[in-house]
Amino acid sequence: MIKKGILGVIILTSFSSCVVIKEYDKVYINDPDMVLADRKCDRNLTTFHSYREAASGANGGKTGGGCGCN
Amino acid sequence: MKNQFIPILSILLLFCAHGYTQKTPETYKKRVLETSEVEFLTSYYTQDGNNAAVSGGVGSEELTDATGTFVISIPLSDDEILTIDAGISAYTSASSSNVNPFDGNNTADPFQASSGASSNDVWSNVTLAYSHSSDDRNNILGAKLAVAAEYDYFSIGVGGSYTALFNEKNTELGINTTVYLDKWNAIYPTELRPFKSGGNGINDPFFSVNTITGNTNYNPQFTEFGKETRNSYALGLSFAQILSKKLQGSLLFDAVLQEGLLSTPFQRVYFGDVSDSFIENFQLADDIERLPDSRFKLAFGGRLNYYLNETFVLRSYYRYYSDDWGITSHTVNFEVPVKISNSFTIYPSYRYYSQTSADYFSPFESNLSTNLFYTSDFDLSKYTANQYGIGISYTDLFTKRHIWKFGLKSIDLKFNQYDRNTGLSASIVSGAVTFVMD
Repeated sequence: MIKKGILGVIILTSFSSCVVIKEYDKVYINDPDMVLADRKCDRNLTTFHSYREAASGANGGKTGGGCGCN
Repeated sequence: MKNQFIPILSILLLFCAHGYTQKTPETYKKRVLETSEVEFLTSYYTQDGNNAAVSGGVGSEELTDATGTFVISIPLSDDEILTIDAGISAYTSASSSNVNPFDGNNTADPFQASSGASSNDVWSNVTLAYSHSSDDRNNILGAKLAVAAEYDYFSIGVGGSYTALFNEKNTELGINTTVYLDKWNAIYPTELRPFKSGGNGINDPFFSVNTITGNTNYNPQFTEFGKETRNSYALGLSFAQILSKKLQGSLLFDAVLQEGLLSTPFQRVYFGDVSDSFIENFQLADDIERLPDSRFKLAFGGRLNYYLNETFVLRSYYRYYSDDWGITSHTVNFEVPVKISNSFTIYPSYRYYSQTSADYFSPFESNLSTNLFYTSDFDLSKYTANQYGIGISYTDLFTKRHIWKFGLKSIDLKFNQYDRNTGLSASIVSGAVTFVMD
C-alpha cells in the first residue's frame, strides 16, 4: 500500500513538472464543485461515518476525540 | 499529564512569535476574507438494525439524532481569520436506553427501547480556530482549540497546521497535528453495577426486586476500568496538485495513535462458555467489552476532480485504512455535480465502504471468557456498506437576498441512504446555509 502511495505522489508530481496553470487560467479549477474537500453540508455525515465505521481519517474530517459510542 | 501540555504550549508560543515577527509591506493585498461569514449546518439522522452493541450484538439499534451548528468566520485583519464553531447534537437511542433496560414501564427486552434516563443525551461542541496567511498568501499557519462534552464523556483538543503553496499556487503541501485529551465518566450496565469493587454482588437489592431466571447463580466476570482517560495523537499530511486547467487531485495521509480506555464501558458481552441468566426477556451481561489500551491507525486517501464541461463535474475519492487491531478498509466515493442553471446544481453521489473484522470481534454468545480481549460491537465486524445520495445547492454570488445585515450566499440540501450488509440501515438529511455580512 505504501508503494502505491509513493507511486501516486510520483505521478502527481510528474504532472506538476509538466504544467503550470496561471491564475487567469484557473476559472474551471476555482469552480466551487472542484474543491478538493467534502461539502460543508456533509460534515455531519462524515461524523456519522467515523462513529459507525472503524476507518477514519484521510478525508479532512475528525480523526479522534469524542467517544462516538451510540 | 503536565508533559502532554508542553508540546501544545510550544506550538501556541510558536504561533504567537510568528505573529510578532511578520512584517507587512506597504503594498496592496487582498484580504484573506473580505467580510464575516456565518454558516448554519443542520442534520437529522435515523438508523435501525438488530445488532446493538449495548446488548452484546443483538437488539434494536434504533437511533435518531438532530444537530445544529453555527460556524462564524471573522476577519481579524487582512491576514487573519478567527473561526468560531459551536454546535449541539441531541439523540434518542433504543440501544443506549438499554444500558438500564429495567427502568421503563415495559418488559425488559433487547429489541425494545427502555424509556429510562439513559435513552437520550446531548453532545455539545465548541471549536476556536485561528489562521494567519503570509503577505504573498503562500504560507498559512493555523491553530485550533476544541472542547466537546456529553453526559459520560469530555474531550479537549488542541491542534496546529501549516500549509505552503508554491509553483504559482499549483502545488500545495500541508501538515497538521491534533492532540485530543478525553475523559470518560464510565457508566456500566445496570446488572453489573452491584459487582463493582465494594458492591454487594448477587445480594444487592436489585436482584431481590428483579428475579433471575436461567442460571440463577449469576456471577459475571466483571471488574471496573481502572483508567478512564483516552488520548489521541493525530498527524496529517496533504499534497494537492493542479494537473491541468480542468483537473486537480490531492493525496492525504493520517496517522493516529490512541491510548487509554478504548472500550465502551456500557457495551455488554455474552460468552459462549458461560451459562445464561435473564431478568424478564433480557439476558444479563457476562462482562463488558474489553479492548486493548492502544490503537494505531493509518489512512491514505486521494481525491481527483475533473471539470468535464459547463454542466458536469466529476468528483472522486478513495481511501485505504489499516490499524493494529486487524482492521483494513477501502472507501470509494463518486459524485457528479450537474449545473442545471447559473444558481442551481444537483449532485448525485455513491459511496462504497468495506472493512475486515477486528481481531477481537465475535458476535452474540461467540466470545470466550478465557480470551483477554473481546467485543460484540458490529461497528468492528466485517461488513460492506453502500450509500446513495442526492443533493441540491443554490448559490448567489451577488448575495441579493438579505436577512438583516446578512446576504444569502448559498444553500445546500442533501439526502443520503446508507445500508450495511449486516442489516443496519441509516438515512441522513443535512443542510447548510451560508450568509455573508454586508
